Amino acid sequence: MNRETKIHQYLPAGNKIRITAMVLMVLLLSATSFADDVNFTATAKTSVSVGEKFQLSYKINAEGKGFRGPNITDFQVLSGPNTSTSSSVQIINGQVSRKVDYIFSYILRASKDGTYQIPPATISVDGKSYHSNALNITVASSGSSGSTGSSQGEQDTSDELYLRASISNSTPYLGEQTIITYKLYTSIQVSNLDASKISSFPGFWAKNLQENLTNIPQTREVIKGKEYVVAEVKKFALFPQRSGEIIIEAGMLDCVAQIKTSSGRKSSDPFFDSFFNDPFFNNRYQNVEKTLVSNSLKIDVKSLPTQNKPNNFSGAVGSFDFKSDISGTEVKTNEAITLKFTLSGRGNIELMNPPQINFPPDFEVYDPDISNNIRVSSAGVSGTRTFEYLIIPRNPGDFEIKPVTISYFDVAKNQYIKLSSPPYNIKVAKGENQPQSISIAGLGKEEIKYLGNDIRHIKLPPYSLRTIGIFFFKSNFYYLLLFGPLVIALLILVVWRRTVKRRSDTASMKTRKATKMARRRLKLANNYLKNKKETEFYIEISQALWGYLSDKLNIPKAKLSMENVKEILEKRKVDPALIAQFIDTLNNTEYARFAPGDKSENMDKIFREALDIISKIEGELK
Amino acid sequence: MKKIIILILAFSITGILSANDNLLLLEEANKSYTEDNFEKAIELYEKVIENGNESAAVYFNLGNAWFKINNMPEAILYYEKARKLTPYDDDILFNLQVANSRIVDKIESVPEIFYVRWWKNLLYFFSVDQWAAISLIASGLLMLMLLFFLLSNWYWLRKTSFWLGIVFLIVAGTGYLLANQKHQSFIREHQAIVFTPTLTVKSSPSETGIDVFVIHEGSKVQITDHIGDWLEVQIANGSVGWIREDDVKKI
Repeated sequence: MNRETKIHQYLPAGNKIRITAMVLMVLLLSATSFADDVNFTATAKTSVSVGEKFQLSYKINAEGKGFRGPNITDFQVLSGPNTSTSSSVQIINGQVSRKVDYIFSYILRASKDGTYQIPPATISVDGKSYHSNALNITVASSGSSGSTGSSQGEQDTSDELYLRASISNSTPYLGEQTIITYKLYTSIQVSNLDASKISSFPGFWAKNLQENLTNIPQTREVIKGKEYVVAEVKKFALFPQRSGEIIIEAGMLDCVAQIKTSSGRKSSDPFFDSFFNDPFFNNRYQNVEKTLVSNSLKIDVKSLPTQNKPNNFSGAVGSFDFKSDISGTEVKTNEAITLKFTLSGRGNIELMNPPQINFPPDFEVYDPDISNNIRVSSAGVSGTRTFEYLIIPRNPGDFEIKPVTISYFDVAKNQYIKLSSPPYNIKVAKGENQPQSISIAGLGKEEIKYLGNDIRHIKLPPYSLRTIGIFFFKSNFYYLLLFGPLVIALLILVVWRRTVKRRSDTASMKTRKATKMARRRLKLANNYLKNKKETEFYIEISQALWGYLSDKLNIPKAKLSMENVKEILEKRKVDPALIAQFIDTLNNTEYARFAPGDKSENMDKIFREALDIISKIEGELK
Repeated sequence: MKKIIILILAFSITGILSANDNLLLLEEANKSYTEDNFEKAIELYEKVIENGNESAAVYFNLGNAWFKINNMPEAILYYEKARKLTPYDDDILFNLQVANSRIVDKIESVPEIFYVRWWKNLLYFFSVDQWAAISLIASGLLMLMLLFFLLSNWYWLRKTSFWLGIVFLIVAGTGYLLANQKHQSFIREHQAIVFTPTLTVKSSPSETGIDVFVIHEGSKVQITDHIGDWLEVQIANGSVGWIREDDVKKI
């Protein structure tokens, strides 16, 4: 504490003129001074804790010029170098001895833990250069190491004045609200508290719970028989933003403490001592600027369970209530409807996104008006968040606003909770101010609105699966079907040809036989003529004529008659005169055969006629 | 579900999976698809294809599943496969167009000469086996006409059969050629989809070749030649260059 007190004895920069004056005086006096060994030493605390202010001073017992301070990179230089002198005059037995010390001092602050070296400073005295000693300073991380890391001097106040950080829940879920409190324990008077450095919490979304407080809440507590005033200097609601272990660095608090200065005086005089140590005189306090460092905290953030996680879960953790309200469900076109969703409860309510609402596509929907009513209290963050939608139906009809669902993780129940609003059925009637003629005129007609550009749905069964890489084309079956008909056609052709040929053979044979048959019959008829067998003769002639025609024309005898003979022969393009003669001959034969009286007379004539006509037709039909 | 897995295991060991089991797989895949479990659906559809069966519908559904998880190159690949099997299917063409609108490259295709366009239209009009069937029917009818022509005694029938025969000959020949060309396209796989996000096309089949142009994933290329693992490709606007075989998947 002594040293601490001393630190603040340095002369501020504003007193430079005074210093110069003193230096001048010293210069004047130095003439009488005796030359002494030059001593240039550096002093500082060898172990400090992070955030602690400490003094580094270089002391020289001679007047020096060109002080070059060390290059300090590992520490924060709060001020310096500041020059001060202290002189003492001693008169012993008439001998006047003067002692002058020049002190160059820095105020440093340790910012990181570790061991650092402060290199020597240089100064020149009477043209000679002197180096100071180098210093090794160990910086201990504050808080966690408690009092061991702090210096001896610090220990003096650590009982009376200290800062503690505490957390309400050191294993919160991701997004779960947990409260960190910085408490100042003091048994002495402190003022000018400045905790503004406690403000950032990497890995957390923090909400200051003391924003609106003008006074720091204070309580009294007795710890180990000592009474303390406990002040909650800082209180934050923390919402972890990532899971895993997060360390909250030690917080720092600057304050001015009133510390007794009783030990400041050093006197060998017991009387003096007792006199000044009298409480009456001792009532003087000194204001000392101090930096208090709290402990650091380790927080283990649990990630939220993945099981049963709702699709629309957006990270809300706490306990909430969800309400919805609609201004009206039966409206006319172009009348506005207000749809309000209110979310209330404790937790990270400000982080809630507007719920996903599928409004009927024909509705005109404006961006929601989001308002927050957040209450911060020492218990944490709670409040309401309201999403207010203004919707205007443009076309009449019955519409449904489907239930809106939000979900959050309830820490107390350790499960996800889904909250839904009721569905709203909105009946929109045609408004009066909408003239009917618009749609008739075709001006108000709407294009079909495409709500989204999506692919068409998958094809559903039945499926006709085929084997990959196997084609009907060029398969054996394909070639069979390709060349099969050709083969069949060729076969048909061959068979057809053969049958036709055979058939034409029998026909031509019969034709060729016709003349022969006719001749044979006529010869037989000639025999009958000679033997006067009339009946047989006429039968034979008739047979010869009909048979000849039948064979020659390849027509069965049964199909021939007196009626169609002419026709058939005409078709064969036989001379009409010959046809007439042929028919005459046939008629004569029939007539002579059945006529009464002597038949032998005509026999000769008919024989010749038959012979004649057959040879003539033979020539004609060839 | 369990039954199906056991079935799959049992059959994949023996390597025989009848079409009936594939139909079960497809049903399961469709169910996964409608439940928005697209990864599962993809796995099951691919299983069917792995089992050696295909159909335009399976490729189409698989393309849809890939589309839903925003993998456009795969989606386009399977839509193209589906189109190859069933050209002129409205759904396939629509989804292919939607998928193509979501890829980086917009390649202006060069207008083709009218007869090439007609030929291609014809080519796409029927599948391989449909063209094969058409050529078969036409050649059968050609034989019939030949018989009529050769055997008929009637003059009009001979005349008609002669001209019809010529028509059927042309149809059969065209059908065969088209079927053959399509068949070749299945065997040779002369189209491919780019799968590398950004692909530099080289002027020659080597890494040292000059960079000619850049195409992006999802673009369709025609394979015109290949040397080693390099492919000569042509894109729709007619530009030609060489790429590595690994950068594309053949349709």
